[in-house]
Amino acid sequence: MRRAAIAVVATVGGFAGVLGFNLGGSRAPLLQGAPNSNSNSNSNSNSNSGSGSGSGSNSNSNSGSNSNAGSASNPGTTTASGSGAPTTGLRSALGNTYQYGYGQLAVRVTLNGSTITKVDTVGLQTAESYSQQIAQQVIPLLRHEVLAAQSAQVNGFSGATYTSEAYLYSLQSALDKLHKK
Amino acid sequence: MGAAGAAPSAPRSPAPQPLLVDLAVAAVAVGFGLSVGLALTATSRHQLAAPGGAALFLGNLTGLAGTYLALVMVLLISRIPFVERVLGQDTLLRWHRRLAPWPITLIIAHVVILTIGYAQAAHTGILHEIGPLVNGFPDMGIATAGFVLMMAVSVASFYPIRRRIKRENWWGLHLFMYLALALAFAHEIVLGPSFVGHPMTQLVWSVAWAASAGLVLVYRVGLPVVRSIRHGLVVEEIRPEGPGVVTVILRGRHLERLAVSGGQFFEWRFLARGMWWQAHPFSISARPQPPYLRLTVKCVGDFTTALAGLPAGTRVALEGPYGTFTAHALHTRKVALIAGGIGVTSVRSLLEDLPKGTRPVVVLRASREEELVLREEIAELVKWHGGRLHEVVGPRTAQPIEHLAELIGDLRKRDTYVAGSESFVASVTRLLALLKVPQEAVHADVYAL
Repeated sequence: MRRAAIAVVATVGGFAGVLGFNLGGSRAPLLQGAPNSNSNSNSNSNSNSGSGSGSGSNSNSNSGSNSNAGSASNPGTTTASGSGAPTTGLRSALGNTYQYGYGQLAVRVTLNGSTITKVDTVGLQTAESYSQQIAQQVIPLLRHEVLAAQSAQVNGFSGATYTSEAYLYSLQSALDKLHKK
Repeated sequence: MGAAGAAPSAPRSPAPQPLLVDLAVAAVAVGFGLSVGLALTATSRHQLAAPGGAALFLGNLTGLAGTYLALVMVLLISRIPFVERVLGQDTLLRWHRRLAPWPITLIIAHVVILTIGYAQAAHTGILHEIGPLVNGFPDMGIATAGFVLMMAVSVASFYPIRRRIKRENWWGLHLFMYLALALAFAHEIVLGPSFVGHPMTQLVWSVAWAASAGLVLVYRVGLPVVRSIRHGLVVEEIRPEGPGVVTVILRGRHLERLAVSGGQFFEWRFLARGMWWQAHPFSISARPQPPYLRLTVKCVGDFTTALAGLPAGTRVALEGPYGTFTAHALHTRKVALIAGGIGVTSVRSLLEDLPKGTRPVVVLRASREEELVLREEIAELVKWHGGRLHEVVGPRTAQPIEHLAELIGDLRKRDTYVAGSESFVASVTRLLALLKVPQEAVHADVYAL
């Protein structure tokens, strides 16, 4: 059957075309392996008061595009000295990793004194693309809200309820480690 | 009416162009390869390794492949003229039926596997995950409605159930498949891993579906409406031909512009109470003789019985012409025509279209003498062609099919056209295959009830 042959050849051609295009392109196809680019080994266990429960699991797999840019410049190390009084200097802590159904994430927070100066997402990993996109859209918004409110007591975003919850829980656990109310 | 050898006054259907169909098949197949390829490239290795990752990947793959095949299903019944001229409406419908289980199965797999995958990812139970899936993602509510609708329509098309439903009721129900596909569209674009964040694939996918919908609208709705209005056909006269057989003579405008070949059929819609919403396929029993066009019908069901009683002046809409049972199909110089019962109608109009020198041998088959309708007209046309006519009357036990072949003799040198009931055509084509008549020289026109 001539047309059956045409159909088979054309199908294989189309299939090969996509794979070829993709291997040449910038996206990360199945065959090429994951872009485990920045495996930010969270070695900065500063002031991580013992409980590193979630911290092990998020040692890898930053799937692509989250923005933990400044994490290296972390001078780390609490300068918090004695007396429990509100301290000055930079301190940061990594929150617990939260599994939220469609993925998982953890948040690292940096305080200057008692002011939240930076919130980074370090362990974002999603099951599928839609959740990845949602997370990427909502995380900058959440960070903005948190920096404005100076706490984890902000409203989540509808349409990204699970992501918001995971983000804020992880943030709260990080803040707890730094004893920030 | 129907004077033998009268100068044909209306144009024929354009000649089929098989190469165009080869190209169309190739294009559609490339699309299928692209769809499967897209599913593969949309999943990264670490996503695959994540909880539920494998199921999410498989669910996406089955969804893309199944939905693409659903698009092919739509194209197969979209009545694109250049495709229909080559393959014929009956072949297209057969492909549509044969392909049907694949998209349905793949789409069921898509739903089941993705539910499992999301349950694994969320560490919940499968049943527990259904709620969040339907409510928690955009466009999933309507997509679920589309899936339920698709399942209902599919069940009705499952043969043991379908044969218990009246043809026109089944057809009405089947139209809801378009709605089901439309409802499912949004979630594909918004949630599909190959489409999220990829405007290019979103665009291509949307254009492919919009184009297919456009083809359906143009060729299944627009063109028939335009043609029907242009020709403004009305019933002129209904004439009995034999037991339960009537010839419907229609009068219309501009029939000299209606391109139709002898042996083709239209889907007719008689605009009378209780009948206007169903279209039925009947062959023309003569080429148009402006201002007249005629079809010959055997009364076998409610519809055809009601048809025989239609008053003159009833308006008639038409869709078509369709069918490859035409002189375009000729490979050889000589022709044999075998008609069982009412199959004589398309043979009658085809005879008008055969080129000179084809020396047709015509075999008419009927159980009883009076069922040999249109025999005088056939005899006249055969005589004009310098051919031969055999009338075979009697029950099948007395007149075996083999006998028909003996009457013709040099079958292997001829193009053989067979028209009649499904079982008649099947047994004749089986016989022709046994006699080593090349398959491409056998042309069938099946009259289904």
